Amino acid sequence: MKKWKWTNLYLIFVFVMLYVPIIYLIAYSFSEGERMSGFHGFTLAHYAELFADTRMIQIVVDTLMLALLSSLIATIVGTLGALAISRTVRPLVKNTVLSLNNILMVSPDVIIGASFLIFFTALKIPLGFGSVLMSHIAFSIPIVVLMVLPKLQEMQQSMLDAARDLGSTNSQTLARVVLPFITPGILSGFFMAFTYSLDDFAVTFFVTGNGFQTLAVEIYARARQGISLEINALSGVMFIFALLLVIGYYFIQQGSQSRKAKHRKESEAIIHEAAH
Amino acid sequence: MKKNTATSLAFYVPYALWIVLFVIAPVILIIYQSFFDIDGHFTLDNYATYFQSGTYIMMTINSVWYAFLITLVTLVISYPAAYLLHYAKHKELWLLLIILPTWINLLLKAYAFIGIFSQDGGVNNFLGLFGIAPKQILFTDFSFIFVASYIEIPFMILPIFNGIEELDEGYVNASRDLGAKWSQTFTHVILPLTMSGVKAGVQAVFIPSLSLFMLTRLIGGNRVITLGTAIEEHFLTTMNWGMGSTIGVVLIVAMFIIMFLTGERRKKGAKRA
Amino acid sequence: MSNVIVELKHVYKRYGDTEVLKDINIEIEQGKFYTLLGPSGSGKTTILRAIAGFLDVSEGEVFFNGEKINDVPANKRRVNTVFQDYALFPHMNVLDNVAYGLRIQKRPKAEIKERVDNALKMVRLSGYENREISELSGGQQQRVAIARAIVLEPEVLLLDEPLSALDAKLRKDMQYELRELQQRLGITFLFVTHDQEEALALSDEIFVMSDGEVQQSGTPVDIYDEPINHFVADFIGESNIVSGHMVKDFVVEFNGKEFECADAGMRPNEPVEVVLRPEDLDITTVGEGKVTVDVDTQLFRGDYYEIVAYDDAKNEWLIHSVNPAKDGDRVDLTFDPEDIHVMRLNESEEDFDARLESYEGE
Repeated sequence: MKKWKWTNLYLIFVFVMLYVPIIYLIAYSFSEGERMSGFHGFTLAHYAELFADTRMIQIVVDTLMLALLSSLIATIVGTLGALAISRTVRPLVKNTVLSLNNILMVSPDVIIGASFLIFFTALKIPLGFGSVLMSHIAFSIPIVVLMVLPKLQEMQQSMLDAARDLGSTNSQTLARVVLPFITPGILSGFFMAFTYSLDDFAVTFFVTGNGFQTLAVEIYARARQGISLEINALSGVMFIFALLLVIGYYFIQQGSQSRKAKHRKESEAIIHEAAH
Repeated sequence: MKKNTATSLAFYVPYALWIVLFVIAPVILIIYQSFFDIDGHFTLDNYATYFQSGTYIMMTINSVWYAFLITLVTLVISYPAAYLLHYAKHKELWLLLIILPTWINLLLKAYAFIGIFSQDGGVNNFLGLFGIAPKQILFTDFSFIFVASYIEIPFMILPIFNGIEELDEGYVNASRDLGAKWSQTFTHVILPLTMSGVKAGVQAVFIPSLSLFMLTRLIGGNRVITLGTAIEEHFLTTMNWGMGSTIGVVLIVAMFIIMFLTGERRKKGAKRA
Repeated sequence: MSNVIVELKHVYKRYGDTEVLKDINIEIEQGKFYTLLGPSGSGKTTILRAIAGFLDVSEGEVFFNGEKINDVPANKRRVNTVFQDYALFPHMNVLDNVAYGLRIQKRPKAEIKERVDNALKMVRLSGYENREISELSGGQQQRVAIARAIVLEPEVLLLDEPLSALDAKLRKDMQYELRELQQRLGITFLFVTHDQEEALALSDEIFVMSDGEVQQSGTPVDIYDEPINHFVADFIGESNIVSGHMVKDFVVEFNGKEFECADAGMRPNEPVEVVLRPEDLDITTVGEGKVTVDVDTQLFRGDYYEIVAYDDAKNEWLIHSVNPAKDGDRVDLTFDPEDIHVMRLNESEEDFDARLESYEGE
């Protein structure tokens, strides 16, 4: 039992390390004064300031809209891409496409940002909402592919054979068997794409012009000017939002399993009753 | 097995377009751009400058050194954490708690450290309890490495954790059954079999660490200049895109070397900031 | 021959240079239970897939009810398949799985309900409509897979090693059920297996496959009693196979002695192989039998003892006996002339059948 305590101590240490800065940040959002030092007494003034800041509210709304739109489009394109990859028979082509797919996954953000900036400039696409949206779609597509593809590979060939054997055409097989089967992967992909977009700073920083700001870009600009406890208040709000997202994601992941588990419990109950 | 060409085409087109426009074209463009000077003339000067002037070489070495330190620190902290996590009760909950900080914007976390490390911030207050005078922590190498490691730790823990989860407990039992001590089991069985997770973690941390320009600005106070910082400066401040692209090409090459050294990249367990 | 429902004529299947099917000629009649029996890689599943429409044959013709169906896609063929891994749709419950084909055909709701009810009753799964697939045992999943196929009333049901994932006891039970189901439905079953016992127990007719060729076809009794060649004799049941030669009609020589036998129609002195089934050998005291052997080891198999013995020429003899023997004992083996089965080397199935007819008709 002694060992058990020792190991947990280390884990707890790591968690404290991970959470102290976040708690520090949020704690000061309730502090009077203007600096992150010496707690000066409880106040909600910074939250009031935040919710009165129409520019900030507008940026939050824009950021969410951007995330929603880009992840939606990325999910559609990425799912089609995963279907295309899974249909590719020749291993060389398949591996090449997969490698190309992963380039944006492993590229540093500055490279993506810089190369997209050259790309938009070369095509004379004005920097702003459009260029940011396209960039977010672009860097979200590979994660969608990577989330959907394993579900497609998990699908046995015999299942597709069975669907055809039972009379369905290719499009019927796709709609009734393939898509429902890979739906958990599509949802995970959408979720990932959504958080990628919300989280991105570097790429957006490169390809956004003066007209369009996301939250991350705005925080960067304000943080460079020094501490403003309004940002702490924003962190508090963002933390709650992140918490909700994580819980949401957790349920998407667990959703199918727990549903099955519930059914299993029901059937066990039936068997149990039958035994009496 | 007759394929309906029209429907297959619909599958391929959007995704293929994405690959061509947003994967292949940007890479070609950044390489192309690296051969032009600030006035738009074709030149090899950018590469000459890069390899001949000591500043860029030093910056590269520095950048790689910092990335190495960040990777090392996160690895040393993360491996035991991932290992213990594997054996912990309620490990799904613990895992969720590891992931949660990654969903908070990196800039907010960096911003938190501006407060914590400031002259009258949390750390100096704490040190003050022991009678230690306030120190300059912000805008030092230490603060940059600390904050970068802090941000990267979850991305190191998750792949290692996944690697350990895949390890069949039977191997560990077999090793102990054959008389190995725990330390021998660890070096001969556990570590080699979880190496793929470590490699994935190293990839997930090292490459982004080369380009954390926002941290060098906010936490490093421009004392630390990494390749990422230089690219950002050339593209957005001095507008010397050619030179910026040249550094970008070097970074891309470095990236391929890392990928090659750490082998086939595996799917990450979590999102990348 | 009017009730031939599926026919394969000179069918070949090649992948690059490898030929997985070589000149397959098969006729399948209405209402019978057929089995394709062979080791893995013998091409039996390939034949099934060719009939189901999951693969195109390289050469030859596939007929269904007299019509050539080489170019008919799988979803338009009136055959249905029970897959080895069942291939049940995991995101649908039992009802949705079984109703899948009928819904594709856009049948009225009432009809779907009635037919699904019937099919589930057939496989004794009434009341399981709303279960998830993951809640079912292996045997139950197996039944759902069968119900999903028979609900479409196919004229031929293809079964691809459907029992291989079940444990021994359940497999035995399912064998009875499959046989009963086939008789009740009155449709043709084409069953693929590598388990010779299963094939012998279930089939009206067996095709023994090896290396992409049909080695022998016939009723289980025919194939067991009159294996055409070494492969079939070895694969079906257990055998003692010794080489010898035919002295003349009804006399064969092996182990240096001549024996009376029931086979004829071969050239004098033709080299042959002789098959003796272990259960046809009886142990007796030395001097009273036909072959003298030394008992080496034995295993108790429950309903019999499996005894391994060696003759003086060091040939191994396998004997099934209800009574135990003693290790190291010297005993004689005895058998009747009709227990000896003589096989010519490289005889084709047609020649074999013709030869059998020539002297058995007497």
